[in-house]
Amino acid sequence: MSIVMKDLKKSFGTPPTHILKGINCEIKSGEMVSITGRSGSGKSTLLYLISTLDKLSDGELLIDDRTVPSMSVEELHRFRNEKMGFVFQFHHLLPELTALENVLMPAVKTGKSKLLRERALQLLREFGLEDKAGRMPGKLSGGEQQRIAIARSLIMEPSYLFADEPTGNLDSANGLAVLNFFEKINRERGTTLIYVTHDPIFASMAKRKIVLVDGMMSEDLKLR
Amino acid sequence: MLTLLGILLGTAAYVAISGLMLGFQTFIIDQLVNNDAHVRITAREELLTEKSLNESFFGGEALVKWWKPPSGRKDNPYILAPGTWLDRLTAEPKVTAASPQMVVQAIVKHGKATSAVRVIGSEPERQLRVSNIEQYMLRGKFSDIGTSGNRIAAGKELLDKIGAAFGETLLISAGKSGLVPFRIVGVFRLGVKSIDETTIFSSLSDAQKLNETPSRITDIAVRLNDVTEAGSVAATWNLMATEKVQSWDQANEGIMSVFQMQDIVRNSMTVSILIVAAFGIYNILSLAISHKKREIAILRSMGFLPHDIERLFLIQGIILGTIGGLVGSLLGFAACLYLSTVEVSGQRGLGGNHMLISFDSLIYLKGFGLAFLSACLASYLPARAAGKLEPIDIIRSENE
Repeated sequence: MSIVMKDLKKSFGTPPTHILKGINCEIKSGEMVSITGRSGSGKSTLLYLISTLDKLSDGELLIDDRTVPSMSVEELHRFRNEKMGFVFQFHHLLPELTALENVLMPAVKTGKSKLLRERALQLLREFGLEDKAGRMPGKLSGGEQQRIAIARSLIMEPSYLFADEPTGNLDSANGLAVLNFFEKINRERGTTLIYVTHDPIFASMAKRKIVLVDGMMSEDLKLR
Repeated sequence: MLTLLGILLGTAAYVAISGLMLGFQTFIIDQLVNNDAHVRITAREELLTEKSLNESFFGGEALVKWWKPPSGRKDNPYILAPGTWLDRLTAEPKVTAASPQMVVQAIVKHGKATSAVRVIGSEPERQLRVSNIEQYMLRGKFSDIGTSGNRIAAGKELLDKIGAAFGETLLISAGKSGLVPFRIVGVFRLGVKSIDETTIFSSLSDAQKLNETPSRITDIAVRLNDVTEAGSVAATWNLMATEKVQSWDQANEGIMSVFQMQDIVRNSMTVSILIVAAFGIYNILSLAISHKKREIAILRSMGFLPHDIERLFLIQGIILGTIGGLVGSLLGFAACLYLSTVEVSGQRGLGGNHMLISFDSLIYLKGFGLAFLSACLASYLPARAAGKLEPIDIIRSENE
């Protein structure tokens, strides 16, 4: 169980602007990896490529020994639904649904929302939000909304959790709380955690840190 | 909300206008159908031509040159074998009743006032089985005209025009005889001025005497079991008869074409309203999609397929169409209920003296169907566009 990147490239437009210029790396199951770098270094692009949300221009990407570009649209969506969780900088909660319904949203796709209701409540308890289950997102603070987004990303018990600047929209206390949650998830559930951050402190809280400079890997450090 | 209001008002307008127009059409058709005949058999009027006169006077072979070609028509058209016709009609299973009539063009005189009229002579018992004239009687009964005795039922508008009243005597002349006195024993009002101002009903024998054509009839009014078969029955009988056979809708072609025009106007107006509402749905959903891009991205990242997103927005449109169609139909029904209580002076027969409104279930089905269909069509394009959105494009545009 791993994500294998072989000479991964991504370019945009004509004439092409090369964002990623050949990334070679393997992220093993259970790792907690931060991807960091300056603005425009290609860290978010790399995250979206390995999370299958974006298509690569060249190279090879294998997730759990499966070549991603060869997967059909249906396979890819099922894979995302069952194996992957996402947390974005903007929590992107559905404003018409309650906190609990938001958490259960990925389960709606597979028709398991009733089955997973207890797990959703358990997740809300774990994140200290058990009394907010019936609240609409608009009535919650930014930190609480981000925690609900994390709970939502975990409802299907994914093997991989991807996060793009999960602390970017939070103050440092809430940011730290989110990273602590990530650390706990990684430790207790064994979920492979890959997150993008430009904050050096948050980047250093991972077990492994990948630093990108101008679309190339400049550092791949094992921190713990 | 405004879009929903658009669909709702469009449907309500369709239901109310259709109820009103179809009610009016039913009223007029009732008057045309049930006060005259489903099928009318009339003596064929023959024009005088060179050929017809040559055959009558000189035999078909003779070569005749006319200095002035003959013109005009044969006098006193009448049905040649009424007995045969009546026997045939009695044996015909599609026929409910048949009433032989003598229709005479005459002049009516009351004091110094005169007016051109059409005297319809019939046997009251048979006539009542063919038409609903009894419903439209203001004074007296139709059967009071009897089988003889110079008694008549006259249109209210005619009596007003010549200043006569129920119980008085009118003088009528068919041109050949002198003025014959007739007593008014009945007054009717159909609500159709052209009939109420010019029509007098008498007994068959009185009309025959007035026209000096005893035992002859000019028309046979026929009532069928099923009025919708009138056209085909008339067409069949026309093939085998020397007389002219016309169904009620053929006889009133002008009015029927006005109804067709009304239907076209009604449907065009409704379609226009619903097109406006459909554009409303299209705009609202397109706007909603551009506002919900973040949510679309997160759903797609959760594994929702493009067609799941399409379905989501399509359902929104369908909900708008369903609620708009249902509430609009109810609102239209309420408007129809109110309109049916509005009094109309002088109207009798179907609907009494109130406006006749149609509550045909087909109107409501059509209204709902149109609203639903327009909502579905209008939602389809934005829903498709939403389904085509790629999550990564949305996320990138959000981060820019």
